[in-house]
Amino acid sequence: MQKSISRLLALLGLLMAFSLIAASCGNDDDSSADAPSNTATPSATADSGADAEATPIVLAQNGGTLQTVLDRGNVRCGSRDDVPGFALLNDAGEYEGFDIDMCRAVAAAIFGDADEVEIVPVTSAERFTALASGQFEVMNRNTTWTATRDGDEGANFLFTTYYDGQGIMVPASTGFTTLNDLEDANICVSTGTTTELNLTAVFQARQIPFNPVTFEGFDTLVPAYEEGQCEAMTADSSVLGVFKYEIEQDGGDDQHIMTELISKEPLGTVVRDGDTEWAQVVNWATMATVQAWEFGLDSSNIGSYSGTDPNILNFIGAGQDGDGFNPGLGLPDDFAVHVVEQVGNYEEIFNRYPQLGVLEGSVNDLWSNGGLMYVPPYR
Amino acid sequence: MTDTMPPSETALQNNPSRLPPDMRVSPSTWMRKNLFNNWYNALISVVAGVVGALLVFYFGRFVLVTGEWEAVRKNLTLLMTGVYPRNEQWRLVAQMYIIASALGLTWGTVTAQSLDRAEDTGVEKHRPTPIDLLRRYWAVLFMLAVILVLTQTIWPTLFTLSTIAVGLTVRSGAMRLPRSARQPCWYAAAFMAIVSFQVVSGTNGNAWWWTAALAAFIAMQSTANLETTVAWHRTALRIGSIAAAVVVVRIAYWLIGDTSSVSWDDWSGLYLTLVASGAAIILSFPLALLLALGRRSSLPVVRWLCVTYIEIFRGVPFIVLLFIAKIFIDFFLGADTPLSLTTRTIVVFTIFSSAYLAEVVRGGLQAVPKGQIEAGQAAGMQPPAIMRLIVLPQALRAVIPAMVGQFISLYKDSTLFAFISVVDFYRARELIHSQQEFTTTAIFETLVFAAFIYWAISYTMSKESQRLERHLGVGER
Repeated sequence: MQKSISRLLALLGLLMAFSLIAASCGNDDDSSADAPSNTATPSATADSGADAEATPIVLAQNGGTLQTVLDRGNVRCGSRDDVPGFALLNDAGEYEGFDIDMCRAVAAAIFGDADEVEIVPVTSAERFTALASGQFEVMNRNTTWTATRDGDEGANFLFTTYYDGQGIMVPASTGFTTLNDLEDANICVSTGTTTELNLTAVFQARQIPFNPVTFEGFDTLVPAYEEGQCEAMTADSSVLGVFKYEIEQDGGDDQHIMTELISKEPLGTVVRDGDTEWAQVVNWATMATVQAWEFGLDSSNIGSYSGTDPNILNFIGAGQDGDGFNPGLGLPDDFAVHVVEQVGNYEEIFNRYPQLGVLEGSVNDLWSNGGLMYVPPYR
Repeated sequence: MTDTMPPSETALQNNPSRLPPDMRVSPSTWMRKNLFNNWYNALISVVAGVVGALLVFYFGRFVLVTGEWEAVRKNLTLLMTGVYPRNEQWRLVAQMYIIASALGLTWGTVTAQSLDRAEDTGVEKHRPTPIDLLRRYWAVLFMLAVILVLTQTIWPTLFTLSTIAVGLTVRSGAMRLPRSARQPCWYAAAFMAIVSFQVVSGTNGNAWWWTAALAAFIAMQSTANLETTVAWHRTALRIGSIAAAVVVVRIAYWLIGDTSSVSWDDWSGLYLTLVASGAAIILSFPLALLLALGRRSSLPVVRWLCVTYIEIFRGVPFIVLLFIAKIFIDFFLGADTPLSLTTRTIVVFTIFSSAYLAEVVRGGLQAVPKGQIEAGQAAGMQPPAIMRLIVLPQALRAVIPAMVGQFISLYKDSTLFAFISVVDFYRARELIHSQQEFTTTAIFETLVFAAFIYWAISYTMSKESQRLERHLGVGER
């Protein structure tokens, strides 16, 4: 017995020695693999461990996101898979929707190929942590720009791609038209979103008692609402429009969306804090869709533009004397051509998804038509 | 003396009073005895019978007549393979053929080995008839039939049938091989399984020589016991087979394509559910065995480590572990870790279930009386041999029901993958109802379909465990 114990101890010692060797080898591998690809070395991040504890966001953010993306050969975009019109995994196993197209625009701008994008679906609750941990570089996941998210969550909100507002839908048969009608009502809401916070804030401010019934996603919320588990459901009005249409199409009760909106919901593109170069790339790639619309360029005519408008010549990267134009954003000269040819201009993208509603005359129309879509000049 | 002599056959037949009484009862007698033996039992039987018949009728009518299975039919590929790229699906088909061959090879070898044993010992071997197999696997075969009924083209049916044909052909081929081929067959089956997963996950990041080295090793092992008349023939044959293995792998890699069109993270739908839970079941068992032995070890460090492991991972909810795996690993290892989400999910799944399984195994170890160990010691056996030959066989046999229960619950725990946005079978079912046309319709239909698939596989697992128990004589010895 004594002998076997001492033998086992010797074996353990040997194992520990092996693991020490393995550990030191592992470290060597790390530093040699990362050093050439990135400006910040792992040892630098390790040294700043004390700072990292205070602001863990910085740890994943080495700067140089654009270079990382270029090295990898695709851009990862956080989105979702369950909202028709915005982002949906369809029956062909592909992602489609307005937000997905905005992701594709970024890939088209950087690589000249809109397919070089990997969609990473995330839930509402985990999206900012996932963004901070570096699971994706861009996020288009109908996310509302708020001060707290911009500040505490370590997110950097860029161009607003869709101006939305939170509304309330009730079956038309109830005859409810104002918030005061909803006293003591059960209201279906999806959890972990600003929707839930807004609902509570507005009803408390007006001292209307109500019962929130929370769901993880619309795939469970809508059937519950249809079955009458709640007297009302609340969501961004764009989303409500989708479900109103669907419920009525399926022969359900007529639905009424209250005219009163209870919040402002600017939905846009989000990147991590701390890398302005990357933020510029994503921002201008997204805004190119609106700029093309304003110029009257779309996927069919941007490639064959033969006019002489100096602004357009700059925009398509030809330059005024044919010597090219690059404002130094880190994108190719002709990135806008790739974006618009492969994904479309803002109007084309919007109208591809009837669930989003009518663009003309809405708040999402071009500024020259009285809407809010206004981008800085490309020169 | 004559009284204790066993009576002869003829004596038995001539004296019917010594035969056991005929215990078979006619259905009407049975019913009178068990269902209608007094007035309140008769009432209960009638009410229960009517309710049962109504339930069967309504459910049957729903399934066969009123149910709208269009949602399942249209999204069958989504349910089965999820986001796996549609133009790369030949990889899945190829994998199924390879796996079928590997299973056929394994099955054939196992059968051949037991026939070998029967031949050596002279004990007659009971060979399962097709009816036996049907009785064993009817649930899975029924599930396959239902899935195939819901397909829109003839190809999946042809493909499934040909897969089965390939498996059976390889099996009968393997049974005809000489005895010296048994071990190489095992190696080959394992190698085929590994290669099949390289086919579906693409070969990116996977150097071809890694697989080639494995193939060469197997070729070397397989030819170790070759018997030839001339000595150098053997060496030449071994070198030749090693070279052939390397060349075959290189060609296979060229065929698979060294592209990044698919990756582990494309696995989804029922495919992912089966692969992830299968991998977790296979990997967690040896881990659990080590943990259970470690927890009973007399070495304090080993014991403490095992206790810590078990108590930590049993004390944390699975979903928390999943979130840690998905999000927080990136904070520690950087965003571009080569660990794919699928890998992490399987690793977490294995860690979690091995902690539970270790306790099950430990229960079995404690059930073995100390006298068994002492008997081994008295016979002069070394502790590892006692463990391997005396304790473990008894301990594991005693806990088969509990272990299979753990495996079944593990299999169904895979539905929690949805929380970290992994599209498993159940998440794919949920996503159907995000599509415009099915947002509010056919919800019950897809639920019934999902429940059926989970049931068919769990039931087969439980059935197999019962067979294993009977085979090992649990509860009899």
